[in-house]
Order: sequence, then C-alpha cells, then structure tokens
Amino acid sequence: MGSILIVAEVQNGSIREASYELASFAQKLGREVHSLVIGSGVAGEAEAFAKKGGGTVHLVDAEAAANYNVDVYAAAIKAAVAATSPDAVLISNTPTGWDVAPRIAAAQDCGFVSDAFDVAEEGGSLVFKRRVFNGKLDAQITASGPVVATMQPGGTAPFEGTTDGSVSALEADLSGAKSAFVEVKVAEAKGVDLSKAEIIVSGGRGVGEPEKFPEVIQPLADALGGAMGASRPVVDAGWLPHEYQVGSSGQIVTPKLYIAAGISGAIQHLVGMKGSNFVIAINKDPDAPIFEVADVGVVADLFEVVPALTEAVSAAKG
Amino acid sequence: MKILVCLKQVPHQDARLDIDAAGTWIKEDNIKFEINSYDTYALEEALRIKDAGEAEVVVTSIGPDRVTQALRTALGMGADRAVHVKDAEIDGSDALGVAKVLAAVAKEESPDLVLMGLMSDDSNASAVGPMIAELMGVPNASSVMKVELADGKVTCERELEGGALEVVELQTPCVLAVQSGLNQVRYASLKGIMAAKKKPIDVKGAGDIGLSGQVGAGAAKTTIDKIYPPPKGEGAELIEGSTGEVVEKLVGKIKELGLL
Ligand SMILES: Cc1cc2nc3c(=O)[nH]c(=O)nc-3n(C[C@H](O)[C@H](O)[C@H](O)COP(=O)(O)OP(=O)(O)OC[C@H]3O[C@@H](n4cnc5c(N)ncnc54)[C@H](O)[C@@H]3O)c2cc1C
Ligand SMILES: Nc1ncnc2c1ncn2[C@@H]1O[C@H](COP(=O)(O)O)[C@@H](O)[C@H]1O
Repeated sequence: MGSILIVAEVQNGSIREASYELASFAQKLGREVHSLVIGSGVAGEAEAFAKKGGGTVHLVDAEAAANYNVDVYAAAIKAAVAATSPDAVLISNTPTGWDVAPRIAAAQDCGFVSDAFDVAEEGGSLVFKRRVFNGKLDAQITASGPVVATMQPGGTAPFEGTTDGSVSALEADLSGAKSAFVEVKVAEAKGVDLSKAEIIVSGGRGVGEPEKFPEVIQPLADALGGAMGASRPVVDAGWLPHEYQVGSSGQIVTPKLYIAAGISGAIQHLVGMKGSNFVIAINKDPDAPIFEVADVGVVADLFEVVPALTEAVSAAKG
Repeated sequence: MKILVCLKQVPHQDARLDIDAAGTWIKEDNIKFEINSYDTYALEEALRIKDAGEAEVVVTSIGPDRVTQALRTALGMGADRAVHVKDAEIDGSDALGVAKVLAAVAKEESPDLVLMGLMSDDSNASAVGPMIAELMGVPNASSVMKVELADGKVTCERELEGGALEVVELQTPCVLAVQSGLNQVRYASLKGIMAAKKKPIDVKGAGDIGLSGQVGAGAAKTTIDKIYPPPKGEGAELIEGSTGEVVEKLVGKIKELGLL
C-alpha cells in the first residue's frame, strides 16, 4: 500500500483548519502520511503539523512562496510528488486548491476528483463521494490508480490526535514562474452589514426578476424588522449589489431567523447561512437541498407565500 | 490577438434530473440544454476584448450534434468561428480527457488567451482550465473576476473567500477560468443571429487532432460508480396546507422564536 501526500495550506502565516481536515482523512485511510508545507518563515507551522497528523512533513520555505503563486506552488507540489510517489495527493478545495490541484493531475497523467466530502478505501482503490449538479445529486467516484483529489472544507472534523512526524527541507526549483502575485485586496466594508442582522430574508434565482426584490422580498424583511439578502446568481445578474450576497464568496451570517425564498441550497450558499439559529425555506421543488438545512420548509410558490406572510406579520404587529 | 473560448453545453438549470438506467448519469433525452452559465461570462469577456480592439474570437465545444446549437448561439453573440469536436470515441472521457482534447485544439489554434468557465454546472469538476494550462505549459488563473490586457501581459483579479480579491499578472498565452458575475452577458441580436448563419463551424474528430485511442471511457482514470439523490437527513419540518394555513403556522413559529 502506498502513501498519501497532503498539501497543507498556509493562510496569514498559519496552516488552515482545512489542512487538519486533510490530516483526518489521510490518517483514517491508514497509509503512510506525508505532507508538504509551502510558505515563507513557516518552519514552526510545519513542526506543529508534523505533530498533528501531518506525518513526514516536507518543507519548502522560500521567499518566492511568501504569497500564493500557481507556478511556484505547482513546482513545489511536483517536487513533493517526485520525492514521495504517493497513491493520492489531497488538497483542500479552496481558491488555492482549485487553481493548482488539476495541474498536478495533468502533470502526473493521473485521476482527478474535486470537492469530495468523503473518501474511503474499497478493495485497494480510493472511493470518493462528491456533489454534482450544484448539490442536487451525489456521485460516487472510484479512482483506478494514483489520484489527485481536492476535499471540501468542512467535510470532516480537523485531526485532533498527536503523531510523531518529522520535518525535512525539500529541494524544489521555484524559478521560471510565468505569472506573478501582485497583491490581495481585502473586501471593503459596505453599507449593508448582514453579519449583525437578527432577521434576514433572502431571495434567490427563483425570484426571477429584479423588480421582485423591492416588491416581494424587501417588504417581508421590512415587516419583520430585518434585512434583505440574496444568493449569488441574483448579484451576478446585477439585480442587487454584492453587499447583499450571502455565502462563501459573500457574507457569513448568523441571524436568529433566516428565510430563504427561491434558493436551492448549493453548498456555497449554505456555508454562508448554516450558522443561523432558525431557518425557514420556501421553494417549489420538494427535493431542493435547502430543505435539509432548514428547520421549517414550505413547498410552494414563493409569490403566493411571501406576500401573504408579509401581510400576516404586519397584522400580527398591529 | 486571438482568443479561444471553451464552451460546454449542459442540461438547462431548471431541467428535470432523472437518473438513467445505468445509474451513472442523468437521462439526457427530452431535456433542454444551454451553454454552461460560467462559460457565457467567458464568452462575453472575449467579446468585450474584441469590441475594445482587434481580436478574433474562436469558440470550441466537445459534444454530440446538439452542441451545434450552443455554438450557433455563441456565433450569434459575436464569436467569429467555431470548432466542434464530435466523436463517439471521446464519450466517457474524464476531465483530463476533455482537457487533452481542448489542449489539442488550442495547439492548432495557438491563441493568446484561452477563456473558459470555472466549472461546469453538471459535473461541477472545476478541473479542465488548470489542466489545459499544464498541458500547454502556460500559466493559469481561476475564479477570475476582472481581466486587463496591456503590453503582452494579462492582469487578473481572482476571487478568494469572503469577497477578497487577489491580483495576479500572467504572461501570454495563458488560461483564465472565469467566475460568474465578472460582466453582464449580452444576448444575441437578430442581426447577429442572421450573420451567424454564414460563420463557419469546423467539425473534428479525435483522429484529426492526433488523439485517437488516447481519450474516451477506456482512457479515463476515474469512473462514476453511481449518482443518487443525496441521503436525506432529518430535514425540515414541512408545513402544508392552504396559503392561509401555511402562513398562520409560520407566524406561530416566528412568535415562538420571540421575534414577533
Ligand atoms: C467558488 C464559488 C463561490 C460561490 N459563492 C456563492 C455565494 O457566496 N453565495 C451563493 O448563494 N452562491 C455562491 N455560489 C453559487 C452556488 O454554487 C449556486 O450556483 C447558487 O447558490 C445558486 O443560487 P440559487 O439557489 O439562487 O439558484 P438555483 O440553484 O438556480 O435555485 C433556484 C431555486 O428557486 C426555486 N424556485 C424557482 N421559482 C420558484 C418560485 N416561484 N417559488 C419558489 N421557489 C422557486 C427552484 O426550485 C430552485 O430550487 C458560488 C459558486 C462557486 C463555484
Ligand atoms: N465538453 C466541453 N467542451 C468545451 N469546453 C468544456 C467542456 N467541458 C468542460 N469545458 C470547459 O471547462 C470548464 C470547466 O469545466 P469542468 O472542469 O468540467 O468543471 C467549463 O466551464 C468549460 O469552459
């Protein structure tokens, strides 16, 4: 049985929680575990990772790796693959992972599985589970040989045990990059801060037309004394500005009440609202994944339910 | 400047998803198809570069006959010509197989820029863009939200988590996998649709691009064992009844939460 190579991800000087989740998966599979830590001035983090599930840590500590760069990371990962000949390379499905991981599979001419939330061993092969059709269906995928896989953050708990791994420096030629990091622009604070709202009423693509937000969604938010939110397609279409977007690439919200109308419940949306205390979902598709995270569900046309609810709430307030 | 745009035709976002007899994909007969949502943004970005200066926009898609419709739409929006890779031999390819075919098309076309979507709405793989870049030996950027061209270089903004953006500079040629929302996508005009009828669609097979025997189900290194509805957990308490009854119960719940 071969080994597993984890590509740990350093963010703001520390190894991300998602990398410790990779350690959980790798340790569970019961194979020899190797890790790659890439960054600048991260020897201490590498030591910590070796003691917490990372196994034998190969460290690429270089000025050139101070910030993420696809060419530099690809070169470092290829060097680690050459040094360890793993059966599986595990990378987190983050903006870094989805930028670089497929390159490694192409370079190795091996299998690739993305955004898996589970991996297990069956008859010597690795079997992955992942979502397809934006969360509406699941798929089980078997890799017939070596594989590069990105794992969904939150797919398992971070590794909590202690292991006695060691750290050694890995030689990698990081020169010859054809792209260069310039800067990271952090999100500016906007007018609408949904992170503090107690009640949020969000509309999705099912709302259908831009006018329906002020006509149907906002009035319910107003009646409840809450704020309006939206899913990404609403913002992409220019119906509402980005500050209304809830999700992995928008705001993370934790209201006492979250009402989702015409939102299917793709993982990137759920990441943004699953910390809500109570969720009401209104969707005409009984199989919409949003009903799995909602406390209360209504399978109906939002254009019937939402205006009637607005009226009833206003009446209840008197 | 030459731009190659990779377009996938996928089941319409509102199509019924019935699992096929083999249990490994959905039934594709009798449903509507459309251009993958992310790819429409890639095409729009290419057309904007063309509108702002000189560029030839070539669109390419791998798939059966129905894909002609997607290519016609793209030509109607303003693309100059299309390459349709159609070959039963390619069926059942995994993402790497698809990337090999598209990289072979890119090799023939030698574009300055390859634009594509971040992921396909059906398989959600997010794989093909960086794979093509690796096969071409060029840099790539994914989740691209802004593209600027100057002095033979491309400056992009990549979307990170929580609304942060990473600015990255790439040499050309390069591969950009775009995120939804980076522009507002145009519709094909009537004039555009008429003009598109005269624009060429080149049809090629695996052999024409030197890949016979190297792609397709036999070469795939991953296989879908099955697809299935996600296992249901406890799920939501479903509230049923007339609109009046439903609303009354919802108001009751909101009161219980102490919010009314
Ligand atoms: C890297 C990345 C980041 C992303 N970040 C985010 C993010 O931050 N936030 C986010 O939301 N998404 C994000 N997405 C997109 C996400 O994958 C989904 O595409 C998106 O969440 C879908 O939005 P939706 O539910 O509104 O639309 P759809 O999935 O199209 O769902 C629309 C729903 O409306 C229902 N409906 C239609 N008409 C009615 C009606 N009259 N009454 C009731 N129901 C109706 C339908 O049954 C359907 O379930 C991201 C994707 C990627 C790849
Ligand atoms: N069959 C195909 N034909 C053309 N382009 C494709 C095809 N499959 C994938 N792509 C491109 O690759 C991108 C990423 O797809 P995927 O890796 O399948 O999620 C898509 O957005 C398309 O731009």
